[in-house]
Amino acid sequence: MTLDVLELADEYVVGLLDPAEEAEVEARLADDTELAAAVDAARTRFLELDLTAAPAAPAPAIWSRIEAQIEGRIGERASPVAPLRPPVRTAPTPRRAPPWRRAAMAAMAASVVLAAGLGWQLSQPRPVMIAVLIDAGGEPRALVEAYADDTARVTPLGDLDIPAGRTMQLWTKLPDEGAVPISLGLLTEVEARRLAGPDLPAPRPGQLYEITFEQEGGSPTGGPTGEILGKGFARMPR
Amino acid sequence: MTDHAALLAGCAGGDRQALRALFEAEGPRMTGVARRILRRHDLAEEAVQDAFVAVWQKAAQYDPARGAALGWIYAVLRNRALNMLRNSAREDLTAPEDIDAARESAPMEDPADEAWERLDASSRLRACLEALDPLKRRCVLMAYVLGFTHGEIAGRLATPLGTVKAWVRRGLGSLRECMS
Repeated sequence: MTLDVLELADEYVVGLLDPAEEAEVEARLADDTELAAAVDAARTRFLELDLTAAPAAPAPAIWSRIEAQIEGRIGERASPVAPLRPPVRTAPTPRRAPPWRRAAMAAMAASVVLAAGLGWQLSQPRPVMIAVLIDAGGEPRALVEAYADDTARVTPLGDLDIPAGRTMQLWTKLPDEGAVPISLGLLTEVEARRLAGPDLPAPRPGQLYEITFEQEGGSPTGGPTGEILGKGFARMPR
Repeated sequence: MTDHAALLAGCAGGDRQALRALFEAEGPRMTGVARRILRRHDLAEEAVQDAFVAVWQKAAQYDPARGAALGWIYAVLRNRALNMLRNSAREDLTAPEDIDAARESAPMEDPADEAWERLDASSRLRACLEALDPLKRRCVLMAYVLGFTHGEIAGRLATPLGTVKAWVRRGLGSLRECMS
């Protein structure tokens, strides 16, 4: 990635460009993947600073105004002019089901998930990629087996202590220039776990996997912020 | 932990409860971010309001492969707040003297320094900011946290514009290397 693209992305994200330059960056973002990747990386880098802002509750009227504006938009979209986005449900939100019904539905849903999970395990037992995560001293600390449908099985290796008030978080970074780490989930205990990550392309050789120690509940930014337990690149099992 | 990506997907599908959940989870902190930039609570609320309308309209454009949902949401907000700041300063739309007065009377508490001092002790960003030359760190923080332009930073630091531009560029470059 060229230096001027990185600098331009940084200044755009930090907010230092004048309006004309900013408009130019925004026009380029749709097609210029290098610039878009640099912008994504810069946003991830600085987001933590935003999360330090002291919360200041907005007045309740703000939500009413947001709703009113959205309803206006829905009305516009329902007009005969071809909508720019898929049509949006305009019916009033259905009332919530009574608690007993919610519990029953949850139980049913859980058993369906369990059954689906079992079926999945039987039909797709082989990971498409495996990564051994190594710490700074070269010691293997965890094994990651990545499956085709966005799940990954993590097995911690050897003695491992999670510092008090921390949790482990698994990340992956696609083997594309400028890709940013994406969370695959949390490991609160030192034990093997299968995590379900977001919808991503199938794991590829050279894809980075990394575990960091983050605050409880996971990284505040959605990107790695804490000390690295170990990292490693995916390889195809033979 | 709030699943921001799932809530954005809900918004893209027209689920207003998802937007409401996002508003409840992030609205107060987003107002805090906008207030550091706009220095007035009512303007910060306006930025947050606009940001949530934009999040609702643009949620379908969010791509999880390109970064965390939270970063995308805050980018929408920052964009709105910075635009309001520029418009109010340039076009005299909303009593700019109020904003300027508020911005000038602010140096007692310094939200720019406070922002990085409040980063988690184990944060890599914190360590990398700590490693920066103090003046370069200050430039980067004034720009990101307070939304200052190069010219405003130069004025505040009583330093020539060219020097400030070079400090900012080097500060950003060092951070990039340190964090990679």
